[in-house]
Amino acid sequence: MSAAPTPGPMADILQGRARSRQGLFVGWIRALTPANSWPALAGLLVFAAMLALQQLIEPGTQRLLTSVFLFVALAQAWNIIGGYTGYASFGQVAFFGLGAYTVAVLMNNYHVSFWAALPLAVLVGVVFAVAIGLPLLRLRGHYFAIATLGAAEGAREVINNLTSVTGGGGGITIPTFGSDAPTPYFGKPGFYLAFLVLAAVSVVVAAVLARSRFGYAMVAVHEDEDAAGAVGINTTVVKVVAFGVSAAIVACAGAFYAFQQIEFYPTDVFDASFTVLMVIMVMIGGSGSVVGPLAGAVGLQLLSQFLRVNLGNFNQLIFGAIIVLVVVFFPQGVVTYLRDAWRTRQFSILDNVRRYRL
Amino acid sequence: MSQFLQAAAYGVVQGGLLGLVAVGFSLVWGVMNVVNFSHGALAVTGAYVAWVLNVRFGLDPFLAIPVVAIALFAFGYVVQRGLINLVINAPIFLTLLLTFGLNLVILNGLQLLFKADDRTIDTSYASQSFAIGAVNVPYGRLAACFLALGITVALALLMSRTRLGHAIGATGMDRGAARLMGIRARHIYAVTFGIAAALAGVAGTMIATVGSFNPTTTPGQLTLDAFVISVLGGLGNMYGALVGGLVLGIAESLGGLLLTGTWVNAIAMAVLIVTLIIRPSGLIGKALYSGRVEV
Repeated sequence: MSAAPTPGPMADILQGRARSRQGLFVGWIRALTPANSWPALAGLLVFAAMLALQQLIEPGTQRLLTSVFLFVALAQAWNIIGGYTGYASFGQVAFFGLGAYTVAVLMNNYHVSFWAALPLAVLVGVVFAVAIGLPLLRLRGHYFAIATLGAAEGAREVINNLTSVTGGGGGITIPTFGSDAPTPYFGKPGFYLAFLVLAAVSVVVAAVLARSRFGYAMVAVHEDEDAAGAVGINTTVVKVVAFGVSAAIVACAGAFYAFQQIEFYPTDVFDASFTVLMVIMVMIGGSGSVVGPLAGAVGLQLLSQFLRVNLGNFNQLIFGAIIVLVVVFFPQGVVTYLRDAWRTRQFSILDNVRRYRL
Repeated sequence: MSQFLQAAAYGVVQGGLLGLVAVGFSLVWGVMNVVNFSHGALAVTGAYVAWVLNVRFGLDPFLAIPVVAIALFAFGYVVQRGLINLVINAPIFLTLLLTFGLNLVILNGLQLLFKADDRTIDTSYASQSFAIGAVNVPYGRLAACFLALGITVALALLMSRTRLGHAIGATGMDRGAARLMGIRARHIYAVTFGIAAALAGVAGTMIATVGSFNPTTTPGQLTLDAFVISVLGGLGNMYGALVGGLVLGIAESLGGLLLTGTWVNAIAMAVLIVTLIIRPSGLIGKALYSGRVEV
């Protein structure tokens, strides 16, 4: 049903306009000109500004921004598989939980340092993504969504019941103080930096992927999988790799989150509302772009914290109502709406609503 | 052995009830391609309506069912007509987001109105039971199960025998063609959602009578159950939802007997995933609208 008025990347590939055969990164660097490198410069500026900002703000605000960075990374990760590739995973939290538990189990039971456990956590996430991705990525639409939801619930139950290794429902604690600690605790400033770098890396990964040949293949799979296969794209590889990259970012975020929380339970790190928030942030910002999830994550996380502080008991009610209104008025996402409105010079919100209603 | 039979009997009556929760969810999903995240919230809303009627006016929950059904139908109709219809042509996950927001609004509204404690509708008969051999069957659960069966059959007949049912089915199969035949899709969608909301409300009332409910954990659990059952049964398939409910109810109560901890949940999810991979159209027959044009 999605209306795609412009000749998309599919046409680019069909007519041989796809850029960069020399591999992902090299091609991207060579293609840089002053005219198209302004997003990278803007990103660098924002990154530097965030570094400077850290010196000015108090610890409470640092913690708030840390959670914003976390959701930027999660939203970018979800956008790779759900936005670009068009496979809406409702089980991304599985990778978050697995990453968190890998780090916690290694640090707690085997006294491994955090920096050694981190790559292993990412590896566990990627292996699990490939293992469930190969069978599940053959399902489409809602079926894929439920299957991944089921996989995440199942993963939580397995962690919950492997009591001897994970502590089960009683939770797990990472030793952080004294001679027991394999890695000294980062503290609020340390985690601010860690999550800032994680968010920056995820934005760069998403941006580089989106402008690569692989990115066009992802969008082609999204727009018409059969046609993509017909022009020679190995759709299975594209889908599994996209799922794996997304899982790697999420697992990495989970690993940092675990260390930040010190003590947590399976219900915390396998909480389905993480997945739902990723989806909402991407959808409200605008899926299939880099700026959309970024704006969605920053906007929604700041909004929800603002409401929590200022509205007390009513905050969730208002938050829900705002989601409903944004979905009704900007069904394609706020950033996508603004971009299209700017290009076509048609700013009427009522026309926008009319386009999608029955 | 008697333990086993007891668990099986409990699973059957519980499964019938779960089937009633899922049938409306499955209908909405099958006809409109909308995954209704707020389905559990609607069920709990129905439970609160019946609870208020019971506490204020002393109305028996089984007699309150028509009132609950009408109230929830009206609410569902307005929600679909006024909100969900506005984004029905947008990418499919938008409707899910909308119902997620709706879910937050309903649940937090209920929490502000009624507080977040566990409640139950007290009746003189719900806790009593009769015995068949060594198996105890509680009256309340048995009545709820039969009611669920009756409603499911009635809904299936509505879908197959009436003009309204045919209109719903036609709109679900191909909305464009249905509109060309003079079917008012906006109205039919709203009616469909209203029916689903009414059924959810009735199921919620029954759950409140035979067990307890609260606005924080019950809705999510019900929505997830409805999710699993709809897939097991095949989307938009009324009898499928009932069979799926029975399978889930029996599996959970037998699993609880045989396995330690919550392994049964892990196994339920494994069954769900394997079902999806092998038979995406559900356990019995085929999904009513698997040949849909617009996805």
